[in-house]
Parts: sequence; structure tokens; C-alpha cells
Amino acid sequence: MKRAAAIITALVLVGGLVFVLGRAFGTDPHAVPFKMAGKAAPNFNIKRLDTDEIVSLASFKGRPIVLNFWATWCGPCKVEHPVLDWAASKYGNDVVFLGIVFEDTEDNTKRFLKENGWSFPQLFDPKSTVAVDYGVSGVPETYFINRAGLIVKKYPYPFQHPSQFEHEIQEIL
Amino acid sequence: MIALLLSLVLAQGYAPPRQGQDPLDAEREARVQRVGKLLRCAVCQGVSIADSPASMARAQLDKVRELVTEGKSDDEIFDYFVDRYGQWALMEPRKSGVALAVWVAPVLMLVVGLLLVLGSMKKPVKAVAPADAPAEDDYLAQVKKDLGQ
Repeated sequence: MKRAAAIITALVLVGGLVFVLGRAFGTDPHAVPFKMAGKAAPNFNIKRLDTDEIVSLASFKGRPIVLNFWATWCGPCKVEHPVLDWAASKYGNDVVFLGIVFEDTEDNTKRFLKENGWSFPQLFDPKSTVAVDYGVSGVPETYFINRAGLIVKKYPYPFQHPSQFEHEIQEIL
Repeated sequence: MIALLLSLVLAQGYAPPRQGQDPLDAEREARVQRVGKLLRCAVCQGVSIADSPASMARAQLDKVRELVTEGKSDDEIFDYFVDRYGQWALMEPRKSGVALAVWVAPVLMLVVGLLLVLGSMKKPVKAVAPADAPAEDDYLAQVKKDLGQ
């Protein structure tokens, strides 16, 4: 009886250890968890770079939104720039595309956009308040917000090909 | 080679440094720094937002200042970050709910381990000859006889 109790206790302890280690080894230790899925997209009122007009997320109520955080100092952001331009030209009539410049200067951003072109409004978040509210953990990151104003998901990688974007946007169309 | 690496790094670029907000009054700023030391920087590796020089960490610390100014409690401030990043946002797991297991489990396992060790340490058993033991084995008796003992 005593021996059985010891064996059961040992099995529980070893089982618990294996479970914890299994879960730990199955996850990327550098990945930052994202808990905003299914929650209301935080509102913001920030400046549009080309017109200085204040843009409010609330003004797009009822429409799906693609929100892209990026920066000129971020190499992968430059890679996805043409893909997002293409996406905005394809889906722009149904979906609102907004870029939010993350941890960058106005001058750098304007210079980059002048050289590379842009097809959707770029907003400036000088104190990263919007980035903090959205739980940004690096750039580029693209948030997909549905018609109800809920964050459906975040794509924390650069879009390297239009097919990647087409796959991700389906849930908010 | 170094020049090539440098040029690649510089071409990639860094986020331009940005100053955080001005500190609050001494008492509230001390609270901001204390809470900030318990919150993980979102773009760093295991560094708190109070200790990181990253611009994003300053922005997160500014958010703490904003929440302190609004009169939020420490738990409400932690909740704000946990809502976005989960328990990962906390430098130390909470001492409540499921996270309490992280604090309790090691102690519990140590106690259970000690009990197991103590339980397996049997007291020395005195050698007592059974009352109805046979006098001597026949084979052994024959061997002794053959050896002339």
C-alpha cells in the first residue's frame, strides 16, 4: 500500500514535470504573447502625415480595417511595403488601410514615402501611445479589425507575397 | 569585413531615441519606477520597462505614469499590460490564481520529496532468529562432517 502511494506520487511529480517541460519546449521563448484577439480595437486620434489632419479610428466604425505598424529603420517593413500597396489597391474599396509609423521621425518617414510612394493614409504616433495600447512588440505588425470593431488577429511578420496577405484578410471581409 | 557588417547594420538602422515624459512628483514617480520594474519591456529580452533604454519601454513607462495619474491601483496597471501580453508582461508571476502554483509548487514538491526520502529510510531491523527455525541444514551438516569439523 505504502509502495503504491510512493509510485503514484512519483508518477504525478514526473508527469507534471514532463507536462511543464513539454509545453516550454513547444513554444518559442522569444515570442511575445498576444492577448488582444477578440477585444475591441482601442480608439486613437493621431495625425495624418500628409495633411496633418487628426484621424480617429472611431470614424471608420462599421468597416473592416487593416492597421499596419511599421518604421523606415525596419528592413522587413520595406520588404512588405509593395505588398501592402498592392493590397490597398485591391481591397481599398471595402477595407480601410491605415499605416502607423512606429518609433520613427516625421522627416525619415516623409522621405521614405516620397521615394517609395504610398497608397493609403500614414499616421504618426510620436509617443508610441497607440503602439502600447495595441500591444505592439516590434515591427512590422499588421492588425485585422472586423466590422464590429474587434481585433480578429495580429500578423507579426512582414508580408513577402500578396498570397500571404490574401490569406490573412479573409476573416475580416 | 567589419566595414561590411557596419554598413549592413547602419543600412538596417535603429529606432531614433525618444525621450520619455517628465517624471511625476517624487512619491508618484517612485511608484511608477517600482511598478515599472515589475513589467516586462515588449521589445527587449527579459528587461523591465524601468531598466530598458528602448524607446518602446519609455512609452510603456509613460503609460504607467498616465495610469498612476488617473489614480489606478497597481493591480489595475498590471491588468492593463496583462490584457495585451498575458502573464508574460509580468517580471514575476502573480501570487494569486493559477500563477500561484508557480510559487507554491516548488515548496510543495520539496516537502513531498523530503517525505519520500524520509519514508524510504527504514529503521535498522534487529536480526532475530525465528523461533521455529530448523536446527541446521542437512546438506551443511554433511559438508561439515566431511571436512572433519
